[in-house]
Amino acid sequence: MDINFSKEDIAFRDEVRDWLANDYPKHVKDKTDNGIALTKQDMIDYHKAISKKGWMGYNWPVEYGGTGWSSTQLYIFNKEFGLAGCPPLLAFGVSMVAPVIWTFGNDEQKERFLPDILDFNTWWCQGYSEPGSGSDLASLKTKAVLDGDHYVVNGSKTWTTLAQNADWIFCLVRTDNSGIKQEGISFLLIDMKTPGIEVKPIITIDGEHEVNSVFFTDVKVPVENLVGEEGKGWTYAKFLLAHERFGIAGVGASMRQLNRLKDIISKLDNAELQKKVNELEVALSAIEITELRLLSALENGGHPGAESSILKIKGTEMQQNLSELFVEAAGEYALMYPGPHGYGSNEKPAGPDYAAEGLSGFLNLRKTSIYGGSNEIQKNILSKFVLGV
Amino acid sequence: MNLNYNEEQTMLREQIQKFCESEYDFYKREDIVKSSNDFDPNVWKLFADQGWLSMPFSEDSGGLGFGAIELSILFEEFGKALVIEPYLATVVLSGTLIDKSSYSNKKDIIDKICQGEKHISLAYAEVDKSYDYLTPNTSLDSDNILNGAKTLVLNASNADNLIVTCKKDNELNLVIMDSNAEGVSINSYSTVDGQSCSEISFENVKLDASNILSSGDEAESLIKETINLATLCISAEAVGLMESCYHKTLEYTKGREQFGQPISNFQVLQHRMVDMFIESELAKSLLIKAMLEVNNGSEEMYKHVSALKSYIGKSGKLSAKEAVQLHGGMGVSEELMIGHYLKKMISIDALFGNADYHLKTFSS
Repeated sequence: MDINFSKEDIAFRDEVRDWLANDYPKHVKDKTDNGIALTKQDMIDYHKAISKKGWMGYNWPVEYGGTGWSSTQLYIFNKEFGLAGCPPLLAFGVSMVAPVIWTFGNDEQKERFLPDILDFNTWWCQGYSEPGSGSDLASLKTKAVLDGDHYVVNGSKTWTTLAQNADWIFCLVRTDNSGIKQEGISFLLIDMKTPGIEVKPIITIDGEHEVNSVFFTDVKVPVENLVGEEGKGWTYAKFLLAHERFGIAGVGASMRQLNRLKDIISKLDNAELQKKVNELEVALSAIEITELRLLSALENGGHPGAESSILKIKGTEMQQNLSELFVEAAGEYALMYPGPHGYGSNEKPAGPDYAAEGLSGFLNLRKTSIYGGSNEIQKNILSKFVLGV
Repeated sequence: MNLNYNEEQTMLREQIQKFCESEYDFYKREDIVKSSNDFDPNVWKLFADQGWLSMPFSEDSGGLGFGAIELSILFEEFGKALVIEPYLATVVLSGTLIDKSSYSNKKDIIDKICQGEKHISLAYAEVDKSYDYLTPNTSLDSDNILNGAKTLVLNASNADNLIVTCKKDNELNLVIMDSNAEGVSINSYSTVDGQSCSEISFENVKLDASNILSSGDEAESLIKETINLATLCISAEAVGLMESCYHKTLEYTKGREQFGQPISNFQVLQHRMVDMFIESELAKSLLIKAMLEVNNGSEEMYKHVSALKSYIGKSGKLSAKEAVQLHGGMGVSEELMIGHYLKKMISIDALFGNADYHLKTFSS
């Protein structure tokens, strides 16, 4: 057994660090370091800078222009970006729809969509959840009816992240009602500019506009935008979820937050908080090494199994617990919350710098135990596939 | 022994519940939060008409002479409806302090509070003083000129008067003044739960002897008792909030169908809601003990309020977080009350010392 990275992996890590130190766009770094929300253009600049370095296809095979990285390299990449406080890369195009397209799509679709994803010329969003279909996703009702050379789509999607910025949406739609609910689902790619699509903001408790409802009224989608076979969408969706879960533990980002917290709390002379942060440090180490074990299994030919649910559950709990400690460390100033539009002046009225950021993180991160298959659903997966009950 | 509310207290609770249902639903509350005042003068007038603004004041001052039990009932119900009107700032923190003082002009001020004609804020906290409210740096010199700064002053943006803690001749003094007096600057912002809050600085504010509300030992016990009463009130608010989190989550899970059945059928969710129910009952028990001690004015009252505040800080946050989680995506939407309970709970835990602080106070 050897828990250390190879020489090549270390060299790779240094290359990532070098990029972060020198080529990570400065205006993006300044904003994220100071807890200022990024604009759409900032996000585009950030992703394009990564494209330029050739890293956008971080989980793609070389034949489609990807990096062809090993699981360990991918892990290092994620961790270093997290440690540097970079915003998480938008997964919808590059790591969600792209693997579905190159695995199940036809050549024309690969040529049409993959290069634009690599160059971040298109912003994708995900049309999965519906008002009546959350954890029970397969019960989805958005209907696509074939009419000559196009589908007519009617229905609605919800919790659609950054749909307000998106050029394209990949959607699970119902094309058949006759069989069991998992059958009869198809995977459609829809241009957001198509007439009949309406995006309505959902404001979350942190005051931000991150998610949306998307309504489809007689939206005409050309048949060539169907990925794979009609009725096989559920298989593709499950395939996609396996890709989504990788890196969901957010170890690098949590380590950064932990280090900041340790620094803050060491100056507070507060034994209770010190104990809590120590406990989180131990737990984070356990999560990190669990992720390394999964990685080691992958490198030796294994498949990511139900164990990735452990990382989803514990990783998201960790993010939430860390944010809560920022709030506690702020003491009475936990009251102060600028909301998304600041305090009305450039200067914060009082209290420590981390107070407002801690609180907006605490409120925003509630979503992490709800999305991506809620933590309750992850526990069902572990019960079924690991415990076998 | 009898731990039941009497008929009058039960009627008071029903009266408040009815009012909140008919005059203060969630949409109305949202409108008020989004308004520039962070409170609604019409609602405040209705509070006055119901007699609620007179509740805790002595009959000598023209009040109803109610105590900690009735205040706790009011705040429990306010917690359920997420009422954000500045009752804590004007009636509890300022009104009860003035009422208990020996200030010569108090009857007139209390009368105006009862009529809903006056808002007052208590400026008790300072940036570098943490939870020490008895030795402020803000100072009043021998010519009664005030200098210093206060932090986290609730509702100061709407206040006609400010009560400011300060030190004069090494004694704690409480001065009362117009909030627009020369030399006073107020910088206001909204709190996480939608209240108005301010940072205030005082630069050579000229006062005279008539501004001194209280000093020395009396001032110290007024501050201690008032903060303790206010801590009890917001803890009661948390108890109401916990009960609502449990009820609303139960209601939601019964109506939300996934996998062909209401999600309340799943045992794993049932047990979590049972835990929310249990925590809400235990919090109620500590509230009963604390409010009775405060009502009797016993020496033990501080300790029992700390027990309650530390308990609700922890279990209230847990209940609100569970309520959000069990509501799924809807729990993090601004459009539902559930997420606002979580924000209110953060605010309650932060005010007057959080769970850790009060656990330490309890055990010391």
